[in-house]
Parts: sequence; structure tokens; C-alpha cells
Amino acid sequence: MVDASNALPQHAVERLKGMRDTSRRGGLFTSDFSVNEFLMVGEAGFEPLGLVVGSCIYHTGIQYAGWAKNQEMDVLSQAMYDARELAMSRMEQEAQSLSADGIVGVRLEVKRMDWDKDILEFLAIGTAIAHREGHPGFKGPGGKPFTSDLSGQDLWMLLQSGYRPLALVMGSCVYHVAHQGMFASLGNLGRNVEMPLFTQAMYDARELAMERMQQEAQEAQAEGVVGVQLHEGSHNWQPHVIEFFAIGTAVKPIEDAAVIPERLAPQIVIPVND
Amino acid sequence: MAPPDPTKDAAAADARQAAWDDALTHNTLPAFVQARLLDTASGKRPWVSSASPAGLLAQRSHGIRPLGLVSGNCWFHYGYSWTRGHYDGWHHAIDRLRSEAALMGANAVVDVTLKVTRMPDTGNEDHMDFGVLGTAVRLEGFPESPNPALATVSALEFARLLESGIVPVGIAIGACFDWLVMGGYGAGFGGPGGGLAGPGGFGGGPFAGSGGFGGAGAFGGGFGGPGGFGGNPGMGTGGGMGGMGGYWNQEITPLSTFLTNVRRRALSELRDDGLRLGSGVLAHTQHSELYRVDPDENNPYPRFLARHIALGTAVIHDRKSLKPFAVRPVLTVREDTPLNTSANTEEAL
Repeated sequence: MVDASNALPQHAVERLKGMRDTSRRGGLFTSDFSVNEFLMVGEAGFEPLGLVVGSCIYHTGIQYAGWAKNQEMDVLSQAMYDARELAMSRMEQEAQSLSADGIVGVRLEVKRMDWDKDILEFLAIGTAIAHREGHPGFKGPGGKPFTSDLSGQDLWMLLQSGYRPLALVMGSCVYHVAHQGMFASLGNLGRNVEMPLFTQAMYDARELAMERMQQEAQEAQAEGVVGVQLHEGSHNWQPHVIEFFAIGTAVKPIEDAAVIPERLAPQIVIPVND
Repeated sequence: MAPPDPTKDAAAADARQAAWDDALTHNTLPAFVQARLLDTASGKRPWVSSASPAGLLAQRSHGIRPLGLVSGNCWFHYGYSWTRGHYDGWHHAIDRLRSEAALMGANAVVDVTLKVTRMPDTGNEDHMDFGVLGTAVRLEGFPESPNPALATVSALEFARLLESGIVPVGIAIGACFDWLVMGGYGAGFGGPGGGLAGPGGFGGGPFAGSGGFGGAGAFGGGFGGPGGFGGNPGMGTGGGMGGMGGYWNQEITPLSTFLTNVRRRALSELRDDGLRLGSGVLAHTQHSELYRVDPDENNPYPRFLARHIALGTAVIHDRKSLKPFAVRPVLTVREDTPLNTSANTEEAL
């Protein structure tokens, strides 16, 4: 993993300084918040500092899979993971320069490049926020800003339920699904049958992605993971190669009793303008 | 940091494949999956939930504890029946999900999503994966169950249903698929008996009885491409619908009938599946498709393919003892802006 901690260019440092003017709290902020989101982040006791971004253009290595073999493409799995991690760590580094407590609304995107199918861009973008009273208890693992793909409303809601976000955790698994032999295919003509090799491949790939995400959460000493989504995709790869990607926000109970909100008794309502 | 597994090691990878093979043949789960699920259920590993924080809060207030994500899938090839394939594929996948949930000691699985995957970039249409994913939960005050209740609704809605005395029990699915061969359609283009029947229109030929019928019945007459329908009324034979006129508003009856029948059969399947499970189905998802397939060497006439899928949560309730609740209308400030990236805004409290 490349450590990019000294690599912030001058203009980035200046931009960040302008956003977090320590002599004047709440200098100019930028964010991609909606109106409700902005209000709810404030209600949660935080203020936005600025949009932070990290990007990584990555050339993925080449790996060949056995034609008739189910197997993980571990070179690609590693590439997808490392590249996302790099983009995330660059974004986190910007947030750290802002002395942010965390980043909410993180979007993690993968884009393919027209000119070369082995090149992918990974983008991480979110809004850095800080606790208004400077409470130290909201930092993520290792004293770094927490990261989360939760919206401002979700952050408020999470704190209401006695949890705080720790880190955006993810697990990736790129998998080659075995081709079925000609005989197997012919034998299936006219029959309704399960294709067990394909079933297995999907099951195994999903299991690996979820296990890795959970492992990351465990390393962050989380109690649980909320808002988990599982994505499947094939990023310009050869046929029969699929990525499973699991992502969610690792959370743990708020330690400092003083900042735990009074337990909210939720009332379920049915919106009438829906 | 998620280090790739020892799957790099060929022997370990083969052992892993063999474990999957053995497990799926015997309707069980490999030891490493069982270990992870049990550790998750017992708190040795973090719990995992697809719920938003709003859902989490409601789960806690309503005594619903998230355990972990559970899943199942089935890659199915349908040689003779897409309809049957859909039924079997989904139910196999759901059975696998349920056994994962039972292993964790869950008594319900909420927020179950169903997803179809086709092999990327191969254009292969006769097989696909039926995948299901949900959050296994433990409901306070209910015993462990070897047969956890499944619901496509979120934990929040699950709680809401229970409050009203309605018990979600399972997932009901109805699917139907059929072909319609339009005998009169393509042959009008220069086929025997076909001819131009007015400016811009093509005539349907009098070949309606001569085969090429499929699906829901025999239809005669033809209707044509851009420029209007040009069949001669009365040309159809064999108990068909007759020709389609060219210049007036007219229903394309064969297609209407066909699509209506496909939908009705899917809904009737849904009803049968629901009856097996409970007393009603909240089928929030309905999906229809209608395609036109051009003639090829095996099929002299254009064909139409229609499918309809309906699915939702089956519930058990007693109409007479539904608990009333106070209605307090609220207006929500909705966020349908592209700025909003939250996946679960509908879970507003």
C-alpha cells in the first residue's frame, strides 16, 4: 500500500486551509448535502468542513483462469481491493488535514476507461465533518476520521440509536465461473436443470466477499455493520468473470454516556403524500 | 485490510471446491460457511445488517436483533419451461437462504431481495442465476425455528405488520412466460396471398389457418409495419380474428388477449404459491415484458414473447381481528434530488 501522507500538493493544502480556518470556526464549507441532510448533520452536533476526494487510476494485472475451472481471480480481487483502498486513503488524508472527525456520504465509484480495458478509475468522494464541540469520541479506528456511506439523516439516526460509525468496510472477490463442457450443455437441452458449477461459483464468490467485509469490521473493533449492500459487476473483463463487492458501515456503541442521546422511541408513521 | 485467502494455494482451492460440491449435493453448507455464520450469530464476529440506521433503531425498539446477512442462489438452465424454471430456481435459492438462517438460530429473515444474474457478455439466454439475499434476525419472544419466516419487507415493516396482528411467513412468487406466433404478420410481406393493401400498408394474407399459430389461440389476418395496417377485413380463416383494418383506431386484439392471459396465469401462480404459505400476499413487485422476435430459419413468422413475474411477502392474518391503529397524517419533506445518496429514505420515521 502506498503511503501518500506527504503527497498533498500545495493547492490542495491551501484549499483545505481555506475550508478549515482555525481562527474562525466554520469558514467556507463545501458539501454535496441536500437541504435535509445539511440540517440533520447540524442536528447531530456536527458541522460540514468540505468535500474531500481521492482517486486512483489502476492498471489491473493479467490473470488467466482455467477454462473449465471455478476459481477466484486473486490478482483481480487484490487489484479491486487495493485500488479502492488507495482512493479511500487519499480521501481520508484530505479529511485528516481538515482535522475532521469523519466523512459521511462517501461514494465509491469504479469507472472504466475507453482506451484500455485493463485500466479502471476508482473514485472516493464524501463530505468531511467535525463535531461542533470538538468531542474526541467520534474518531474512527486509530484516531483517523471515521468513514461512512451513510447520509446526514442516517448519521443522526445512527447516533440516536446509540451507535457511532467507525469505517466504511468492504470485501471484494473477483471470480471466474467455469465454462460448462460441450457434453454437459448438450445433455441439458430440453431439460430444466440446475447448473451446479455455476451455482457454486456464485455462492463461493459471495461468501468470500462477505467474509472479507466482516473481517475488516472485526479489525476495526466494530460491534456490527449496517446498511450493507452487495454488488455484482463485471468491469470489462472476459466473459465468465464476475466481481462480488460487499460494502457497509461498521458501527460500535457510543462509549461516552454524556453524548448518548436520550433513547428515541420511534413512532412509525405512514406518509400521506407518498 | 482484506488479504486474499489461501485460495492461491491450489490444493486449498481444490479442497474448497470439493467442500462446496459436497455441501450443495447434500443440501448443507461447507464447514467454513457454517463456522462463520455461527460465529456471527454468537457475537464472535460483528453482526451484519442490510438495514439503514432508521431500521436499526426500530429493530431495537421492537425487539428485533440483526444477526447477519444470509443468502442462497441457484443457477438454472430451463430447457423446456421458463415458467417452471423460474419457480424451481427461486425456490431452490430460497431454501438455501432459509437453511443458512435456521443455522444462525434466526426466527425470521427480513429485507429479502431477489436478483437475476446472467453470464456477462455471453448473450446466453437459456440459463441464469436466481439469487436471494436477506438479513437474518432474532425476534424477541419468539422461539428459534427450523423454518424461519421470510419477508421481502424491511424489519421496520415487519414490526409494523406484527403490531397489527399480521404475521409475514414467506415469499410467494408467480411467474408465467409464453410465446405467440403471429401467422398473419410477416407473411404479408410478399408471401403468397399477401399484397399491398393501400398506401403504406401491408396486407395480411388468407393463410390464417395454415399453421404458424401458437400461444393462446388462432388468429387470422395480418397487421403491418409503419404506415398502417393493411389487412383485408374478413380474410382470416380458421376461427381467427379476421383482418386488421388500415386506417382506423383498432385494438390489436391477439396481443391484448395474449398478454392478458400471461399476466393472469402469473397471478394465478402467485395465488397458488400464497395459498401454500398463508392467507394473503403483499405482492409489491410486478414486472412484465413483451418482446417481438424476428423470423429466422426455424421460425418463418415473427414471434412475441411475454413474461410476467409477481412476487411479494405472504402473510397470515385474520380479517376479523385486525388491530386498529390511530392514523396521524404527516407530510414528509421528500428528497428526490440527485444529491440524495441514501439508499433507504423510505424508512422515514
